[in-house]
Amino acid sequence: MTISSYIFVFAQVHEEFRIPELLSVSELYNISLTFPGGDSTYADVSTPFMIFGLECEEHAHILARRCILVKSIHELYATGKTYDEIHEQNKASKHLWEKYIQDTSFKFKVEAYNHSIPQRRQKEVVVAFSYMGWLGKIDMKNPEVTLYCFEEYRDKRGSSASLRHRHEGDGDFIQVYFGRLVAEGTARHLVKTFDVKKRSYYGNTSMEAEISLLMANQTLASPGKLIYDPFVGTGSMAHTTAHFGAFVYGSDIDGRQIRGKDNTPGIMRAASQYGVSERIIDLCTFDLTKNPWRCGNLFDAILTDPPYGVRAGAKRLGRKNESWRPTEKFLANRLEGEPYVPPTKPYELSALATDLVLYARYALKPGGRLVFFLPTVTEEYEELDLQTMLCEGMEVVANSLQNFGSWGRRLITIRKKTSQSFPPPTFDASARESLENAAASHTPAHKDFREKYFSGFKRDTPETSQPVS
Amino acid sequence: MVRLITHNLLACHAKGCTTNNFPLKLQDVVVEVREAEFNADFLRGFLPRIEWTALVNAAKELGDTSLPLEMPEMVDDEFLKNLHHVLLEIHVDEGAMVCPNCGHKYPIMNGIPNMLLAEHEIG
Ligand SMILES: C[S@@+](CC[C@H](N)C(=O)[O-])C[C@H]1O[C@@H](n2cnc3c(N)ncnc32)[C@H](O)[C@@H]1O
Ligand SMILES: [Zn+2]
Repeated sequence: MTISSYIFVFAQVHEEFRIPELLSVSELYNISLTFPGGDSTYADVSTPFMIFGLECEEHAHILARRCILVKSIHELYATGKTYDEIHEQNKASKHLWEKYIQDTSFKFKVEAYNHSIPQRRQKEVVVAFSYMGWLGKIDMKNPEVTLYCFEEYRDKRGSSASLRHRHEGDGDFIQVYFGRLVAEGTARHLVKTFDVKKRSYYGNTSMEAEISLLMANQTLASPGKLIYDPFVGTGSMAHTTAHFGAFVYGSDIDGRQIRGKDNTPGIMRAASQYGVSERIIDLCTFDLTKNPWRCGNLFDAILTDPPYGVRAGAKRLGRKNESWRPTEKFLANRLEGEPYVPPTKPYELSALATDLVLYARYALKPGGRLVFFLPTVTEEYEELDLQTMLCEGMEVVANSLQNFGSWGRRLITIRKKTSQSFPPPTFDASARESLENAAASHTPAHKDFREKYFSGFKRDTPETSQPVS
Repeated sequence: MVRLITHNLLACHAKGCTTNNFPLKLQDVVVEVREAEFNADFLRGFLPRIEWTALVNAAKELGDTSLPLEMPEMVDDEFLKNLHHVLLEIHVDEGAMVCPNCGHKYPIMNGIPNMLLAEHEIG
C-alpha cells in the first residue's frame, strides 16, 4: 500500500482535542493515519497546518466528514520555507498533477495564516506557478480542481498589533504549503446545528455544542452501538452521539433535568428537533451509586460530564448524618405524596472519578470507552493524578485540556482493555481504598475540587465566568 | 419509552432485595407502538444479554406473541424483525414497574421510570 501525504488545515480551537479526535475517527473507520515523525508524540498543534500520510483519498473524505476540528484536507504537492523550495518540490511532484494538465477546469487560491497578503502579490504567487502549464479553463465557481497555496506567518498579536499595517511583514512567512483541495470539512457546521441556544430545551448545565460533538467522537459513536450517559442532565451529549447513529441511554438523579416543564421530556423534545428521538432508547431517574442495571458488559461507551459540585450538586442518595433514621410518621408523609424527593449527601470529586472508572469497567463491553470530563486545578495538575483513579484493566488513551485559567477541565478517554468480567462496584470508600494502583497514596489536584473552586484556588479568585457544573 | 429492552435490563435494587427481584411486573400500563430504526448488528450483539423468558412474558403481557418460547439457535431475518419490534418499538409511557419480591413500586411518568429509592431502602 503506498502512502500519500496530505495537508490538513485545522480550526484553531481546542488544540489538545485535535489529535485524539483524528485518532478516534481513524480507529472507527479503520483508517491508517501516518504521522510525519512516526508517532503522535511530537505532533505540533500550535499551527493549523499538519501533514499526515493516508492510504487513499477516500480516507481524507471520511475524516473531513466526521472530524469537527478539520477545516480542509489537501493532497500535498510541496512544502518549504521559500518559494524556491516549493517550486523545486512541486516539479518533482509532477506525477501527482500531470493528469490535470490537458483539460481540467481549475482555480487557484493563495491564503495566509496570521497575515493578509496584498492582492498584487497574490497574483505574483499564482503567476510563478505557470510552468505547470495547465490548459483547462479557469473556473472560479465550479472548478474540477482547486489549488491552494498557504503561507504561514508567526503569530503577530502583541502590544503594537493595532498600529501595524495589515500587510506589514508580507513575505516574511515561516512555511508555505501547496496542494490540491481534496475535501472541505463538513462536520464543522454541526457546531451550529447543535448550538445550545437554538435547542428547544436546555439548562444551565448544558454542554456547549462543539465540545459535545468532540466528546461524541471520542466514544467512536456509530450505528448499532449502545452508549450511556449516567449524568445525562439536559442531554447535550445524548443528542450528538445519537446524531452519529448510536443508540443512547441516559439517567440522572434529578428527573427535572431530564424533563424540564413540559409533558414531553425536554431531552426528547430536543431529540425530535435533531431527528434522533428513535435512538434515545430510554431516560431514567436514579442515582448512579444505587443503580438498577441488572448486568454489566452492556455498553460500547459511557460518555458523561460528571457533577463537579459547583453548579449542579455532586450528590448521592443518603444523609450527611448517616445515623439518622426516619420516623414512621416521616415515612408516611414522605411516601404518600408524589413525587418523592429523597435526601442527598455530597459526593467528593476524586471519589466520584474513581467510582466512575470502576463502574465503567463493569458496565462496558471489552474494548469499550469511558469518555468524561475531569475538572482540575491548572497549576496543581500532575500526570500522576489520572493514575489515582485507574484500576486493573483500564487504560488512558487520550487526555485533552480545556483551559479556563486557574482551573480547567480534562476530557479523559479510557479504554477497557480487558475481556475479563468484574463484579459491580460498591461505590464506597473500602472499594476505592482496595484499588491496587501505583498512585494510591498520591493526592490528585482534583480532590476536593468544589472547595478549591469556591476558595478561588487559594492563589487568586476565579477570573473567568466559564460554565461550571 | 420504557421500551421492553429497558424493562429487560432493570432489576429492583432496594436494600437487601437481591433474589427474585427481576423481572419487574408491569402495572396499569399505557402502551404505544412507535417505529424504530432496524439494526441487525445491534440485535445480534444484544442477544446474549437478554433474559429470554422475561422478554417473552413481558411481550405477551402487552399483547405481542411473536417471539418463540426458547431463544432460537438459528437467527434468521424473520426472527430479527420480531425481536426488533419487541425490544425497541413497544413503549410503556405510563404505569409502574413493581418488584415481585419486595413490592417496591417504580412509577413511570411520561415515559420516564423513576428508579430512585427512598432513603430507608438504600444500603
Ligand atoms: C454536569 S451535569 C450534566 C449536564 C449534561 N451534560 C447536560 O448537557 O445538561 C451533572 C448531572 O449529574 C446529576 N447528578 C449528580 N449526582 C448524581 C448521581 N449520584 N447520580 C446520577 N446523577 C447525578 C445532576 O443532577 C446533573 O444533572
Ligand atoms: Zn425489590
